[in-house]
Amino acid sequence: MGIREKLLDFKRRLQDRKMYSIVIVIIAVISIWGINQYRHSASLKQELNNNYNRAFYDLLGYVNNVEVLLVKALIASTPEKTAGTLQEAWRQANMAQTNLGQLPVSQHILAKTSKFLTQVGDLAYSLNNTTMAGNTITEKDYQTVEKLYGYSIELGKSLDDLQQQLSFKRIKWDELTRRGASIFRKTSADMPSQQFENIDKTFQEYPTLIYDGPFSDHLTTLEPKGITGNMLNADQGREKVTEFLGKDRVASLELTGQNDDGPIKTFTYTAAFKDNPEEQKAIVDITQKGGHVYWMLYNRPVPEKKITVDHAKELGRKFLEEKGFKNMADTYYTQEDNTAVINYAYKQDNVIIYPDLIKVKIALDNGEVLGIEAKGYLYSHRERSIPSPGITADEAKSKINERIEILSSGLAIIPTNFKTELFTYEFKGKMYGRDFLIYINAKTGKEENILLIIDTPNGILTM
Amino acid sequence: MKNAKKTIFIFLIILLSNLSLSGSYGTRPLTPSLRLGDRNENVLRLQQRLSNWGYYKGEISGYFDKDTFNAVRQFQHSYGLPVYGTADKHTILALGLSKIIFTGVVHAQATGNSDEQLLARAINGEARGEPYEGQVAVGAVIINRTRDPAFPKTIAGVIYQPGAFTAVSDGQINIAIKEGSTVLKAARDALNGWDPTGGCIYYWNPATATSKWIWSRQVVKKIGKHNFAK
Repeated sequence: MGIREKLLDFKRRLQDRKMYSIVIVIIAVISIWGINQYRHSASLKQELNNNYNRAFYDLLGYVNNVEVLLVKALIASTPEKTAGTLQEAWRQANMAQTNLGQLPVSQHILAKTSKFLTQVGDLAYSLNNTTMAGNTITEKDYQTVEKLYGYSIELGKSLDDLQQQLSFKRIKWDELTRRGASIFRKTSADMPSQQFENIDKTFQEYPTLIYDGPFSDHLTTLEPKGITGNMLNADQGREKVTEFLGKDRVASLELTGQNDDGPIKTFTYTAAFKDNPEEQKAIVDITQKGGHVYWMLYNRPVPEKKITVDHAKELGRKFLEEKGFKNMADTYYTQEDNTAVINYAYKQDNVIIYPDLIKVKIALDNGEVLGIEAKGYLYSHRERSIPSPGITADEAKSKINERIEILSSGLAIIPTNFKTELFTYEFKGKMYGRDFLIYINAKTGKEENILLIIDTPNGILTM
Repeated sequence: MKNAKKTIFIFLIILLSNLSLSGSYGTRPLTPSLRLGDRNENVLRLQQRLSNWGYYKGEISGYFDKDTFNAVRQFQHSYGLPVYGTADKHTILALGLSKIIFTGVVHAQATGNSDEQLLARAINGEARGEPYEGQVAVGAVIINRTRDPAFPKTIAGVIYQPGAFTAVSDGQINIAIKEGSTVLKAARDALNGWDPTGGCIYYWNPATATSKWIWSRQVVKKIGKHNFAK
């Protein structure tokens, strides 16, 4: 039977009354299903739009609050009031930034706005700390806050404008999402995203902000202190890497990348080993200056655990010593999949220097080093001239909450979250059945930091 | 003809009931009961929990001794479970230790770190076919973003930022992590600070990326199929 005959046959059958009703029922069922699907998708869309609207209006509210709080901080006359206002500005700016991140607008379109909100909060927090420590805010800081206040007014205005458009339904969130479902997809230059681009233009002339906070601009351009030596070419780099991995073990070694961007410029090499399958490769990044190993990763499965973590700690220390990292002391570690990651810090004259950090990954089957990560060490290592402490250990101890039972003490240099260092006494103490590390400034006696030690079967971590 | 239909119908019913049966029995062999004499990490977790909740006063040794037995009985008694001193599936669930049950099945659920899980799933969605280095690199980009002022501050915030990752937009992030996959390891390495990208905050696949904007970034590194940029 040809198609034509089949169709004719179908037509003939359709004339049959029974067939007729069957077709009608099928159409009815499909329609009901379709209507349900449509309703379902409409309600989901509405829910999504509601969520985006909520994020947007929250953002608007928080930005207005930031604006008000900044100007209040500028006119407050007592340190307490200034500190309180700044603290609230920090909180509100954080909330604004969080809500901004939930809008369905490509990240790069609002990158500057997001940065502004982060830095306002971060700076407010840092100034709040200054005030709390009993120091006054400098004239320069006031000028920065004034500038940021100006920007917050501008941002508030642009957002108000956008809100108008939203309430007249000139912008629909679901239109934005459909098009901008991914930053990798094509972004056409139509109305809605342009509106957002205009907001970001507010920050065209945005200044570089330098202050004591983790998001300060100076941190991205920080020069590494631990990188010494001459510039190498790729062949000299290859020699260094071969030496690092062991001449006898390396079966092949190729240059697979070169990073000429940023403060640490590197060569990347990929190595295969003689005693292991070809596909299990080790990747090594070494610095172009001096040929220091920046990081190494060797991905091989570790099927069983034969050695203890304590043994691994010793193996890691010996390995580091062999590679020229002397006086490294293990601090904390984690253990997963029969592999331990051990943190080593540099020790100088019995002072433990936490910023000079190297992580070593050790296979617990044969003790082989599977990875090393030396970013902290390369950024901060140098021989420091460590002053003698301004207060005695007993004086420092007296600053600690007396309910804590002190188990041991020592001297340590600790990093702050904006890459400066503090010289402190380190006390290990116990309370509520948990272990703590408490850091007291060795010069001023100020309690600088408290860390909670988490001792699990998988390792010792600090929080 | 009618007989054939009936056979098919019966066959379907049997198939369906089989499915539901395998649903309820499927998890059974994977549920380790903890009993007197056991010595492992799960017993350690059990003792810790029983001690936290005030049922167990002994040493947290990882060895299922008489004291642990009594503590389990006491717990079962107060929760209205069958009292027989062996920590079975129901007891373990009542203790909120579901991790013990799922250990080894879905490997990704075996550890407690939620960031690690989420990061592993994001890497799985975005880069499961990439070389190991490329998987760590994708994890590192996500972590670098949390430290960049222009991005959200948490790992969840970065991953679920609308439109930021294709695998999140199209739901690939929810794909189950395959047995023997390296993504969880890669997530751990990234969280531990290994960063093959040297501080990058963007990556894209040059074969599929259509955004003009992304091409305006300067490529710092190429790993596997992805370009990485600042």
